[in-house]
Amino acid sequence: MVAMLEPELCEKGATIETVLDTPEGKRILTCIQCGMCAGTCPYGEYMDYPPRRIINMLRRGFIEEVFKSDSMLRCVACYACMSKCPRGIRLSDVLLPIVKEQTLINQPEIPAELQKTLQNTLRYGNPMGESSRKRVNWATANGTKVPIMAEIKRPVDVLWFVECYTAYYQRGQDNSRAVAKLFNALGIDFAILGNEEKCAGDCGQLTWESGLFETLTDYNMEIFKKYKFNRIVTGDAHAFNAFRIRYPMYGFNYPVEHTTGLFARCLPQLKPKLTKKLNYTVTYHDACCLGRRAGLYDEPRDLLLAIPGIKLVEMTHNRVNSICCGGGGGGMWLDTFFKQKGMERLSERRVKEAIATGADVIAVSCPYEIYRFEDALKVIPHDKPIIVRDVVELLAEALGD
Amino acid sequence: MYIPKKHEPVRIGFYICHCGVNIASMVDVKEVAKYVGTLPNVVVSRDYKYMCSDPGQEMIQQDIIENRLNRVVVAACSPMLHEQTFRKATEKAGINPFFFQMVNIREHDAWVHTDRLEATRKAMALARAAIQRVPLHKPLEVKKVAVHPNVLIVGGGIAGIHAALVLANAGKRVYLVERDPTIGGHMAKFDKTFPTLDCAMCVLSPKMAAVGSHPNITLWTYSEVAKVDGYVGNYKVVVRRKPRYVLEDLCTGCQECVEACVYKEPKFRDEFNLGLGKRKPIRLPFPQAIPPVTLIDPETCIELKSGKCKKTCLEACGDRKAIDFKQQEELREILVGTIIVATGYQIFDAKRTPYYGYGVYPNVYNALEVERLINASGPTNGELVMRNGQVPKKVAVIHCVGSRDENTNRWCSRVCCLYSLKLAHLIHERTNAEIVNFYIDMRTPGKGMEEFYNRLSEEGMMLVRGKVADVYPDPTDGTTGRLIVQAEDTLMSRILKIPVDMVVLSVGLEPHPDSDKIRRLFNMSCSSEGWFLERHPKLAPVSTFTDGIFLAGCCQGPKDIPDSVAQAGAAAAECFSLIDKGHIEQEPNTAFVVEKECSGCKSCIPLCPYTAISLLEDKKKAYINEALCKGCGTCVASCPSGSIVQNLFEDAEVFSEIEGLLAPVPV
Repeated sequence: MVAMLEPELCEKGATIETVLDTPEGKRILTCIQCGMCAGTCPYGEYMDYPPRRIINMLRRGFIEEVFKSDSMLRCVACYACMSKCPRGIRLSDVLLPIVKEQTLINQPEIPAELQKTLQNTLRYGNPMGESSRKRVNWATANGTKVPIMAEIKRPVDVLWFVECYTAYYQRGQDNSRAVAKLFNALGIDFAILGNEEKCAGDCGQLTWESGLFETLTDYNMEIFKKYKFNRIVTGDAHAFNAFRIRYPMYGFNYPVEHTTGLFARCLPQLKPKLTKKLNYTVTYHDACCLGRRAGLYDEPRDLLLAIPGIKLVEMTHNRVNSICCGGGGGGMWLDTFFKQKGMERLSERRVKEAIATGADVIAVSCPYEIYRFEDALKVIPHDKPIIVRDVVELLAEALGD
Repeated sequence: MYIPKKHEPVRIGFYICHCGVNIASMVDVKEVAKYVGTLPNVVVSRDYKYMCSDPGQEMIQQDIIENRLNRVVVAACSPMLHEQTFRKATEKAGINPFFFQMVNIREHDAWVHTDRLEATRKAMALARAAIQRVPLHKPLEVKKVAVHPNVLIVGGGIAGIHAALVLANAGKRVYLVERDPTIGGHMAKFDKTFPTLDCAMCVLSPKMAAVGSHPNITLWTYSEVAKVDGYVGNYKVVVRRKPRYVLEDLCTGCQECVEACVYKEPKFRDEFNLGLGKRKPIRLPFPQAIPPVTLIDPETCIELKSGKCKKTCLEACGDRKAIDFKQQEELREILVGTIIVATGYQIFDAKRTPYYGYGVYPNVYNALEVERLINASGPTNGELVMRNGQVPKKVAVIHCVGSRDENTNRWCSRVCCLYSLKLAHLIHERTNAEIVNFYIDMRTPGKGMEEFYNRLSEEGMMLVRGKVADVYPDPTDGTTGRLIVQAEDTLMSRILKIPVDMVVLSVGLEPHPDSDKIRRLFNMSCSSEGWFLERHPKLAPVSTFTDGIFLAGCCQGPKDIPDSVAQAGAAAAECFSLIDKGHIEQEPNTAFVVEKECSGCKSCIPLCPYTAISLLEDKKKAYINEALCKGCGTCVASCPSGSIVQNLFEDAEVFSEIEGLLAPVPV
């Protein structure tokens, strides 16, 4: 297995002028131009400047030419180049976000869909432009009762950071209700921030709207300080990524876990409760931020295999070699742009592989994937029905009543 | 000739070397000489351009005679280089060589500093430290230890084989110990060798046969070194001989037993063919195996597992009575003076680069498997037939698998570019398949290698510069197992997705997983990667840090056959040098126990890295074997009663040196 990337933090403040002087920049100088990054990039064939060329343009002093191209907007921050780079260059962590920021600055116009999303996130604290006062609605509707920090007024063990898609969108809420059910089944002492929560900003960071990201970070950090809790758990792979590798540079030092990791750790207590048999053949799609970036390959699979009746099959590309759903790095809001450029949606490429496995269910662990794959399945023909479910949804289903 | 008398006042001669500009450009040597001339006991203080030159040495000898010097200090390069030179020079002038002291102002000073004034101050301090220690020096004697003439060679690959033959042909007795049932190593698995494309077995098997029949070589295959004790010239080695259940002295190699085995067809994984073929429980690894003695695998033999076999093999062997189901492991003890370690390498496990699909897609092979597939004695009798029974029409050869990669092995394995080209050529020759080589950098150093690359390029081989990123089944393909190889052609800046029938992974070389165990056994050092460390990368490439133990072949680092053989010859020559001299000279900087102060607490015994210390049971005192002691000082520093003293490093000498080092200097 490819060595898991060390959970190294990102440093604040490296710019395109200074990056080669940092320890990460020294790694960039060791690039052997092997083309592994371009070859593994899911959109490599659509890039004028894949990472390999960016590095050489940077080393030779022609980087300005790269910024004039919109090539970098095709990066979906999937960590494939970084995790396979034979020189261990932290492309997706360090170099590519800087190049992306400069690309956005140098473009005559930003793709409208992306621009709208960034504006929404700044104004409303979520990319879809929903009212911040409705964030908690899922937790109070239909008889669900989820404790809210501001109301219970006591310290809790787990602060559950719900995030946007899992709070506002119907299918995301299914995920959140499942997590609440599992927390209760395991007797975990938890609460959410409710309407006080704002987007963690991981995708904003990766599209490198750095001002926006810092605004969100500052805001969330202040809210965290208001309450007492032992650790943060989130069901959103991107929020998990932001807390893990980027928030620490703003002083964040809470222990953080993704629900998949937490439930895998609780498997001895959880497994006896998984009594309902689910006769599904399941294929698991590795989320980039969990798999390649954090090495959580076995945890979601262990959870799935703990459910009675589930048979696990693998897609051609799995684990370190998994193909991104196309939603990262702002890709979630660039589908129109990608279409204009004649690029295949990665979610479509991915569901084709899932369909080929003959599975009944595509299991996921990142809230973007539910939408992306369900959308893709609408256009990719398949004879046998196939559905998309988050791992936690399947676990909650197997809990019975 | 002048001979210093006892109790005569100390008269020191000090010499500082310019070493051309190596020292003089960073250290003001004239100032240092002037300063040292003012120190007590110093009679002569000079600087000179090259102290190691003949005139430099003669100057010292002249001064010893004319100025009646009885101590000499030279400030120059590392004592690793010229300590012996100056010791000999002083000895020639009639002074005990241990009245000489060397000061390293090149590696420790001039080469590592950028401030000339500070470097000069440091040189003064270092020089004075020596000037203050040298009056306390005592005359010491170099001791001689006899060297046992027998040699142990560990590993029967091409390196071990060559070293064994060189030594044995010159009349030395050699023990060759090999872990596998046959000698030959990796080379015996190869089909042809680059760049000449001559058949590997054709050149190897005569040497293997020579080893097998040589009167001076004791060949122990299927055996491992279990224990090594002793020191240079006198190593006591225990070798574990695993039971092969066939007696070597009685087996004629007729293989009638194999024919007669109750398993009519070979059924079990054939290790020699990397699992590509099948074997029976009783077998000869390959036709030219040396020794030509069959062996029985206890894991699969019915008789050895359950005792309920018809034993048709025994019947077939008949009066030769070579089969012995009761054979036991044996321990043999031997005495040797020198050891050559030639334990080789293993290939990189391509499962560690999961994106190439090794172990997942049957048409993905590693290079060594392909060597067997195209080898006439291999599982397909030399026809390149894949696991699905087809002959490939298009083949991708992927270079640098597991090599030059922070995620796997960081080093370049040196032979892969050339063996990839060789395999590409051979596959094309056998199948007429179209071959695509994917490389990062084409590395073809060595005689005839670039010419070989040139020749294959002329043949029209397709060479793509780009590391393959992904290998996956062709989605448009039915059941033929066709694969897509995806890579960026970096010279064209274009992503290629090439459909192929077969993928060959040019896996790198890596140390054996148990190299650390072997390292400890022979008390050697390893590089961080696990390759055994040579004493000096340029000037002592086959020596180790343990005297009398030498390296040959790939256990020291990846290399090709000619280099392995050259190194084996060099290691053999190092053994000769010790054996023919008959003795070694022992540095007298060893430690000894002052018996009346030793309390017999034994705390020093486990600390000694050379197992030189033992307890004299009758006196209950520690005793240090001078021949084993390397003068590391560990016991001296650890002794709670301060009863261990080390020659040349006595407390008074060391403290005096420290005082000299710390005193203020004039500039």
